[in-house]
Amino acid sequence: MPLSSATHAATSALRANRAPTSVSPQEVHRWLQSFNWDFAKNRTKYPTKYKMAFDTKEQFKLIAKEYARMEAVKDERQFGTLLDGMTRLGAGNRMHPRWGETMKVASNFLEVGEYNAISGSAMLWDCATAAEQKNGYLAQVLDEVRHTNQCGFVNYYYSKHYHDPAGHNDARRTRTIGPMWKGMKRVFADGFISGDAVECSINLQLVGEACFTNPLIVAITEWASANGDEITPTVFLSIETDELRHMANGYQTIVSIANDPASQKYLNSDLNNAFWTQQKYFTPVLGWAFEYGSKFKVEPWVKTWNRWVYEDWGGIWIGRLGKYGVKSPPSLRDAKKDAYWAHHDLALIAYAFWPTGFFRVSLPDEEDMEWFEANYPGWDEHYGKIYREWKALGCEDPKSGFIPLQWLAKNGHTVYIDRVSQVPFCPSLSKGASSLRIHEYNGKKHSFSDDWGERMWLTEPERYECQNVFEQYAGRELSEVIVEGHGVRSDGKRLIGQPHVRGDNLWTVEDLRRAGIVCADPLAD
Amino acid sequence: MANYKVHTNPVRDEWLGEIAKLENLDEATRFIQDFRQTYTTPLRTSYQLELDSLFIEAKIEEKLAVLKASKLTEAELLTKATTGEEAEQVVRTWMRKMDVETNKYKAEEILIKFRQIYKPPVLPVNYFLRADAHLGSRLMELRNVDYYATSLEELRKERGVKVIHLGKNAKAA
Repeated sequence: MPLSSATHAATSALRANRAPTSVSPQEVHRWLQSFNWDFAKNRTKYPTKYKMAFDTKEQFKLIAKEYARMEAVKDERQFGTLLDGMTRLGAGNRMHPRWGETMKVASNFLEVGEYNAISGSAMLWDCATAAEQKNGYLAQVLDEVRHTNQCGFVNYYYSKHYHDPAGHNDARRTRTIGPMWKGMKRVFADGFISGDAVECSINLQLVGEACFTNPLIVAITEWASANGDEITPTVFLSIETDELRHMANGYQTIVSIANDPASQKYLNSDLNNAFWTQQKYFTPVLGWAFEYGSKFKVEPWVKTWNRWVYEDWGGIWIGRLGKYGVKSPPSLRDAKKDAYWAHHDLALIAYAFWPTGFFRVSLPDEEDMEWFEANYPGWDEHYGKIYREWKALGCEDPKSGFIPLQWLAKNGHTVYIDRVSQVPFCPSLSKGASSLRIHEYNGKKHSFSDDWGERMWLTEPERYECQNVFEQYAGRELSEVIVEGHGVRSDGKRLIGQPHVRGDNLWTVEDLRRAGIVCADPLAD
Repeated sequence: MANYKVHTNPVRDEWLGEIAKLENLDEATRFIQDFRQTYTTPLRTSYQLELDSLFIEAKIEEKLAVLKASKLTEAELLTKATTGEEAEQVVRTWMRKMDVETNKYKAEEILIKFRQIYKPPVLPVNYFLRADAHLGSRLMELRNVDYYATSLEELRKERGVKVIHLGKNAKAA
């Protein structure tokens, strides 16, 4: 029988490339590399000002079969532990309720990051020309699919086992109501998938993963354990085992562009912008989630930040890339200043906006206040005083009809939203480094809170057109907004967001309506 | 100020009514181009539809895509713009325009205008993405060289913003 042309081609290829006789994965990998498509003239559909080298190597050199076997084992361990051992132990109800609320936010928001990272790493696959480099990005695409499922599963597990599932069970729609959502989209969505493809890699792999997954995915497991949560470490540490591959991908992205002299014109400003973008949200939000969303404290956020962001990442990791012309971002110094107070500033706003949350928040108790003052001298005089006043005015009790938003308005503490990061800030109450500036451009007003972000907007205004929640809801009564956004529990009366984590005295839509709060846009004429 | 529901509201209903009336390709093409120039991008002339513009634009795109599929042949769907122009020619013209531009603000205008006029379904996706990636890459090259050379004060002037407020730590220069 005559050989088909395909069989003939395969036979010839095998003759030219003898199959290895050993089973060394590296040898198999090298052998597989010889069967390759030619990506030298690859044309990506994504814009980039960088040229990625055709001969870039990849550090992990995983082949699909090894990858699948390894990940299957991880999944078996993780889901086996959750669905058997932890369910028998009643793990879903053993954590402090404050932490149970924190995980409504943490797992759901991380899910968004993982979901967008699927696209981000696929985009890099499309952009790269080196086969090995593509292989690394491809493994990451598969990882991110797995992580998206894992994060979704944490909320699902909590929905089934935690005593207050509201928020865990429908975060994907209720998360959009409040002012924390759009900033998260900025870092975890826009940052990973829009603009220059290599800049996306810098956002995702070099900053998001190499810098902030340590606090976001590792530090959070310490806080979780301290607060009785065994679910989060089981899942998040399994996620973290893949992050090394992603950090290596970020490293290889830099290696792939380093030989092109033109890269040096852009690389450090892109890195600085990526770092500022990511830290502007994560620095305050992670600090707030850990310190205000827990009962049992691990260590002050400022210390974690200094160790992992400033020293490990800004010093050691970026230092290793120094030979490729990468410099530590100049905005790191400003970020360091913010790491002290920014999360306390955000916590006040988060508490004041509690009705818009898909999670519950609580006032710091006396023990917390002592801890805050001991670790952040000056905290009590500024923040503690305000929380005590809100408590005295009955902010936890629906009968009082008092919501701290009213206190902010009455005392002239206007809350703005930074156009670039979408992070809310209150200039008159802020102890952090933020500083208000308002510009009008083409008939539209924009507020900003720092020099780095303002420069980003002045340079590329079309990237930062997101309408903020104040503009979106201006003129509407707050309870109506919450009802439209489905921020109500299954009885149709009680709100998902609450200003305490107790089982009694839950605020209802009617309580909120009685407060008569009308949303206002501070930039409106 | 919107002051109405986000997902279902009278403004969207009114526009849906207008879109339903579109019956031919030329008219729908002009309609979407006008809409994009008036209500989208930083060069828009009106922010009146800020809450609803993305929804309305998507609905016009749906209608235009349907009209386009009913009028153009299979081959034309891949090669012609709904304006009647050859896609290849359009793309070449705009890429050439960008290639010779050295001023970043003018380059920005080229890219934004290209999107306002030709974003799919006006231009077939296969041509649009190639051109958009090319224009975007060039714009980023122009914008990102000497990124910190210009002071914030100078940048504000270049961008033409009216400074309404500068806080205590905001750099004046």
